[in-house]
Amino acid sequence: MTSPITTPASAPSRPPVPPSGTSPVPPPAAASARRARRHARRRELGACGALMTPFFILLVTVFLIPVGTALWLSFFGADQPGLGFGPERTVFVGLRGYTAVLTDPTFLGGLGTVVLYCLIYIPLMVTGALALALLLDSGVVRLRSWAQLGLFLPHAVPGIIAAVIWLYLYTPGLSPVIDLLAGADITVDFLGVHTVLPSIVNIALWSNLGYNMVVFYAALQAVPREVIEASVVDGAGPVRTALQVKAPLVRSSIVMVAMFTLIFALQLFTEPMLLSQATPMIGSRFSPSMYIYDAAFTRNNYGLAAAASVVLLVCTIALSYGVTHWSNRVGAPEEDTR
Amino acid sequence: MPGRQSRRSVLATIAALPSAAALGACGGGTSAAVATRGTGAAADGGGRRPTRITFWSALRGSQDVVDAFNRTHDTVQVDFQQVPAGSMGGYAKLSNAARAGNAPDVATIEYPQIPGFAIDGVARDITGLVGDRLRAALLPQALGLTTFDRRVFGVPLDVEPMVMHYRTDLFAEYGLPVPRTWAEFEEVARTVRRKAPGRRLAAFATDGAPQFASFAWQAGAQWFDTRAGAWNVSFADAPSRRVAAYWQRLIDQDLVVVNAVDGRQYDAQIGGGRVLTRLSGAWEAGAQMNARPAQKGKWAVAPLPQWSPSAAVLGTHGGSTFAVTSGSRHPEAAMEFIEWQVSHPDALRARLAGGTSSQYPAAPGLVAVGRRAFDRGYYNGQDLYALFEQEAHKIRDGWTWGPRMSASLKVMQDGFARVGGGRGSVIDAVRATQRGTMPDLRALGLATTEHST
Repeated sequence: MTSPITTPASAPSRPPVPPSGTSPVPPPAAASARRARRHARRRELGACGALMTPFFILLVTVFLIPVGTALWLSFFGADQPGLGFGPERTVFVGLRGYTAVLTDPTFLGGLGTVVLYCLIYIPLMVTGALALALLLDSGVVRLRSWAQLGLFLPHAVPGIIAAVIWLYLYTPGLSPVIDLLAGADITVDFLGVHTVLPSIVNIALWSNLGYNMVVFYAALQAVPREVIEASVVDGAGPVRTALQVKAPLVRSSIVMVAMFTLIFALQLFTEPMLLSQATPMIGSRFSPSMYIYDAAFTRNNYGLAAAASVVLLVCTIALSYGVTHWSNRVGAPEEDTR
Repeated sequence: MPGRQSRRSVLATIAALPSAAALGACGGGTSAAVATRGTGAAADGGGRRPTRITFWSALRGSQDVVDAFNRTHDTVQVDFQQVPAGSMGGYAKLSNAARAGNAPDVATIEYPQIPGFAIDGVARDITGLVGDRLRAALLPQALGLTTFDRRVFGVPLDVEPMVMHYRTDLFAEYGLPVPRTWAEFEEVARTVRRKAPGRRLAAFATDGAPQFASFAWQAGAQWFDTRAGAWNVSFADAPSRRVAAYWQRLIDQDLVVVNAVDGRQYDAQIGGGRVLTRLSGAWEAGAQMNARPAQKGKWAVAPLPQWSPSAAVLGTHGGSTFAVTSGSRHPEAAMEFIEWQVSHPDALRARLAGGTSSQYPAAPGLVAVGRRAFDRGYYNGQDLYALFEQEAHKIRDGWTWGPRMSASLKVMQDGFARVGGGRGSVIDAVRATQRGTMPDLRALGLATTEHST
């Protein structure tokens, strides 16, 4: 930024003239300079456009158009009156799909399942990843890069493969884990009525813990060393340093990880979908995403599936907004006191 | 029309995006090229071109039937494609093909799924194509199951009265009478548990909503009723509650095993004699012969126990129908093939040449063919077809399957599975089915009511 003194007071709206060797610029030269500037601006805009077009193309094709389609499908239906055996006609059906979804106990049950899943999964994930990152950062862990690699590696395994691996480990008769426990006279049914949700949480933790740990670890690297030294000088032990000095300094990363985890958790699909083939305790409408899949592809009920998708989208947006808003409010006073 | 299709295919693509699991489930993606084959072959046929139609089925022996048809017919030729069983992806494949406009001319659909495919516009209204001769050849109760709102949407191939398959050797060993009523059945179950603690009389199938439907059907339930011009849904009506309470009592007293009947566990239970009876359709007699040749001479078939022997009624368990699809360009040729398949003795002979089967034909005229072809050795010479014939006439008329039957039965089985896991009760599962079905039907825009007894 050039200081306001170098630009004439009479033209505050004009972009500032960069300081150059030549004093008072004559009007024709000013015009050519303006042209050059406009040209540069156009090039800048062009680059901007070229760089951002892919984003907007993707935003439109994989987000806005699908959302629009879902909205359209949820409000218009190909109806046949009465028993449904007559010819179809497309009519505006209003909130029919939404009423159906919100009065469907199987959908509400799925929402309840996901809420329970979030309540178990998100705290475990955030505290687990943070604890591991703090351990790595504290230097307690030897062979740091190997530990980091080992923890991160599961994230490189696609979710579907992870579910298959764990399915193998959970299935009685196949699983070496169950055999081993049986040898110690412990019988575990990983796919029973009460254990199936923790089993899914376990798969998700295994897959994502390392990734989030890396996020936290990177944030911890940015913590100024003087602050750590100061706390050590003040007599804080390593645990106290970790919990009361480092952790608050990476608060924004914690919020971000919690939010992303929440968004992914709400869309719970792959793990239960695969496990459902091995246990009847996971129904075809276990989570909202599975409900949507079932409504569209086994019940051929596109209006219902679309309405359920919109409901899930609204829930996700509302929760994300809630988390951001809440963390800003909680964070603000802290910033003030600092 | 094109607008609707593209809209749906866009949605299908979107819905498939969130996970690769969805891709795995849509295994039927390669069907697009199939339907066009028939017309291509017809075009280069030269002078007398036979009409070519396509036929999809998961039924064993279908290829033999098609071969026999093609040998004996000049004007119509059939291209057959074996597809997976409905619940294994066959129905999804049919729905997708119909949406994409390349469904086969003739599809195989089981009874419970007929109304769904009719509402979705996959199965064609063939009322005008079903002639008097075909109508007269079929068991009226069977045709009733494919008729909705006085419109016919499918032609029954076989109709399967539910019967009781039982272990004669173990019944003799423990001195058990063959139960004729459900009260006697419960008594026998108690005796079995007392005399042989490792064995049980029967299984309550946690994956067996169709079995439960058959029990309810027999007891007089009416889960769906279209007579008043709307879909009346009442899963938990008085007869269903009676059946649910009966099986709940057997479960609570540990008189039956409670597990899935499709799987290795149940295979072992039957193979090891830990379960003495199975309550299922007539077709299972042949399935048993194929699955366990070593148990030859140890099984017999008896009528299903009744609530009141003086007024004996039954439900069915299993059975298939053939439908002409709405997109078919040769509905008359398709009907000619279907009529031959379900009513001509050569068709049944060809089907039975593909392997042992005890299916009970929906056309009573074919029973003699089935009886002659069936090897009675396995069942100690018992004339099963005479029994089936007697039982088929007891099938209670007026039962109606619902518009989203696969989904309804799945909700019920999810509930039964929880019963097997020690949570909830049979009637809870039945009530959950009611609650899980209604939103679906409402969202489809169907007129619905919920009157119940």
